[in-house]
Amino acid sequence: MDNAQIEITYTALAECIARVGETKTSLLLATLALDLLSQQPDAEAALRHILQAERLAKI
Amino acid sequence: MSISIPGKVPVLVAGGGPVGLSLAALLAHHGVRCWVLEADATWCEGSRAICISRRSQEILGWVGADRPLTAKGLSWVGGRSYFRDTEVLHFEMPSEPAERFAPMLNIQQYYVEQYAHAAALRAGGVEMRWSTRVNAVRPQASGVDVEFQTEDGQIHCVRTDWLVACDGGRSTVREQLGLQLEGMQYEGRYVIVDIEQDTERKVERLAWFDPPSNPGSTILMHRQPDNVWRIDYQVADHEDPVEAVKPENVLPRVQAHLDMIGETAPWKPLWISIYNAKCLTLPSYRSGRVLFAGDAAHLVPIFGVRGLNSGLDDAGNLAWKLALVQQGHAGDALLDSYSSERILATRENISFGAKSTEFMAPPHHGFALMREAALRLALVAPGVRSLINPRQSSPVEYVGSPLNQPDQGSAFTGGARAGMPAPEAMLQTSHGRGHLTQLFGSGFVALYFSNQPLLPAALQPLTEASRPGAAALRLVRVSGEQAPDARTVVDELGQAWRRYDAAEGTLYLVRPDGYVMGRWRDLASAPANIDVALKRALEDMDHG
Repeated sequence: MDNAQIEITYTALAECIARVGETKTSLLLATLALDLLSQQPDAEAALRHILQAERLAKI
Repeated sequence: MSISIPGKVPVLVAGGGPVGLSLAALLAHHGVRCWVLEADATWCEGSRAICISRRSQEILGWVGADRPLTAKGLSWVGGRSYFRDTEVLHFEMPSEPAERFAPMLNIQQYYVEQYAHAAALRAGGVEMRWSTRVNAVRPQASGVDVEFQTEDGQIHCVRTDWLVACDGGRSTVREQLGLQLEGMQYEGRYVIVDIEQDTERKVERLAWFDPPSNPGSTILMHRQPDNVWRIDYQVADHEDPVEAVKPENVLPRVQAHLDMIGETAPWKPLWISIYNAKCLTLPSYRSGRVLFAGDAAHLVPIFGVRGLNSGLDDAGNLAWKLALVQQGHAGDALLDSYSSERILATRENISFGAKSTEFMAPPHHGFALMREAALRLALVAPGVRSLINPRQSSPVEYVGSPLNQPDQGSAFTGGARAGMPAPEAMLQTSHGRGHLTQLFGSGFVALYFSNQPLLPAALQPLTEASRPGAAALRLVRVSGEQAPDARTVVDELGQAWRRYDAAEGTLYLVRPDGYVMGRWRDLASAPANIDVALKRALEDMDHG
C-alpha cells in the first residue's frame, strides 16, 4: 500500500469510528481486527500482531 | 493632511501586507503604477507567517527581494517528529547541492514585507500609503471608486482601473462587495509563541506529539533569524482561548519544553497569539474590476505552510496578467484564468491542509484515536510514518487551465506538462553559473533545446517579435555543448535536458510566472504553435 492509500485508509477508519460513536468503537475495532487477523497465514502470525498491538497500547 | 488625488490610479492594492507589497513590486516590475493603502502605520508586528517556500523565494526573486531574504533567513530541508521523546519520523524535502533556493526558509513576516516594499520602491511607480484605511468600495462601469480615510480622519476618494484586495482574512473590500468565504473551520486551537533564545540547534521543523513536557499536547518548533524560536502548541478543547494566551499560562509550558529538549540559555517571550485552522475560500477571485488575493481570497490551515506561500503564488500569477490587461496587451478575460487557476490551487491547498489538520488538531474522537494508534505503530512500522508527515507546501499544477496548450500525444514521456511549473536546472550562462528559473518573471520564454550551432530558419521569427513588457517573448537556446552567450545557456550537467525530457529541437513555451504553457517536438510547426499559444493568452481569451 502506498502513502496515498494509507492516508485514504486512515481517514476512512477515523470517519467510521466517529460514525459508530465512542460506545461502539471497541466493538468496531475488535470486529475489524478479527477480520484482518483471520486473513493471516497462520495463528503464529496473528499472535505476533496481537502481542505487538498489546505492547504498543501499554506505552 | 492635504493629499494629491489623481484622476485615476491604474491599480489600487488594498492592504500592504506581504501579498499586497509583493504584488505592488511585481506590478511595478511590469511597468504598472499602483497605490498601496495599508491601515497599519508600518510593517506587521509579530513574526506571523515564517516559512517561505522555494516557489515563494523564486517569486520574490523576480523583483530582487530574494537577496536580502536569503541573506537574512534560515534555510532548511527537513524535519523530525517525536512521539513522547522517541523519533518517529525524519523527512527531507527534495534538495540538491548548489540549488538556487532551499526548499524552505524561515524568516519573520515583517522582513518579507520590508524586502517587498524596498523592491517596490526600487522598481518605481508605487505609492505606499500607511495609516490609510479603505472605507468603501463602489464598482463602476469603467473602474472602481475607493473611499479611504487617512490618519488625520480625512475622507478621500480615488478611482482605479483595477482594485486588488490583499487586505487579509477580515477583508474590508470583500465585505463591501457583500462576498462571503465558503468552507469550514476546525475547533482545535494552537497557541503561537515567539521567544528570543540563543541556540546552536540545526534549522529544521520539529514536532512533538504528547511530549513529557506537556502531556497530551502537540508542540511545533521552528528557528527564526535573530535568535528567535517559533513555538506552536495545541491547547486542550476545554481551555478558554483568552486565558490560553496569558503569559502566566504560556511561559511555564514553554519553559517545561525547553527544559525537556535541553535548551538552557536564558530566554524571553516576544509575541503570543492563538490560531485555529480554517478551510475557507471565495468561489471566485474576480468580481468585475475587483480581484482578490492572499487571505482576502482564501484561508487555509497553518499546517504545511500554505497561507502566505499561496498568497505569494496569487501575486505571481496575477501580476503579469493584470499588467497585460491594464496596458492593453490582453483582453480582461485573461484575469478569469487567474481566478480559475488559483481557485484550483486553493482547493488543493485546502485538501492537503485539511489532512494535516486532521492529524495535528484531530477534529473528533475518530481522528484522535487513529492518531494515537498511528504514532504508536510508527515506532515499529515505517509504512505508516508518512501519516505524520506535515505535507509541506509545493507548487500546484494548473490542470485544465485555458492557457495550457494541448500536449502532442505520446511525444513526451517525462518533463513538465502544460500547467506545471517549469523545472529548475543548474546552467552556465554568459554571466557565469546560474539557474534556469532565473530566466522567468518578466515576459514569456521559449526554451529551445539544441546542440546545433545555428538557429533554424523556422525559429528566426521568434527572435524578431517585438511584443512589449510582459507580452515580450525571449528565445533561449539550452545547449549541452555550445558556449554560453546572450541567447544560449549551457546545460553542463544535463539537468535541463533530463528534467524537460528534451531531444534535439524540443521547444517549451514558459509563461512569465514560470509555468509551462506548451511544449513541442516538431520544430517546423513550433513557431506557429507558439503564436497560437500567445494569441490565446493575449487576444482570444474572451472566446475561451
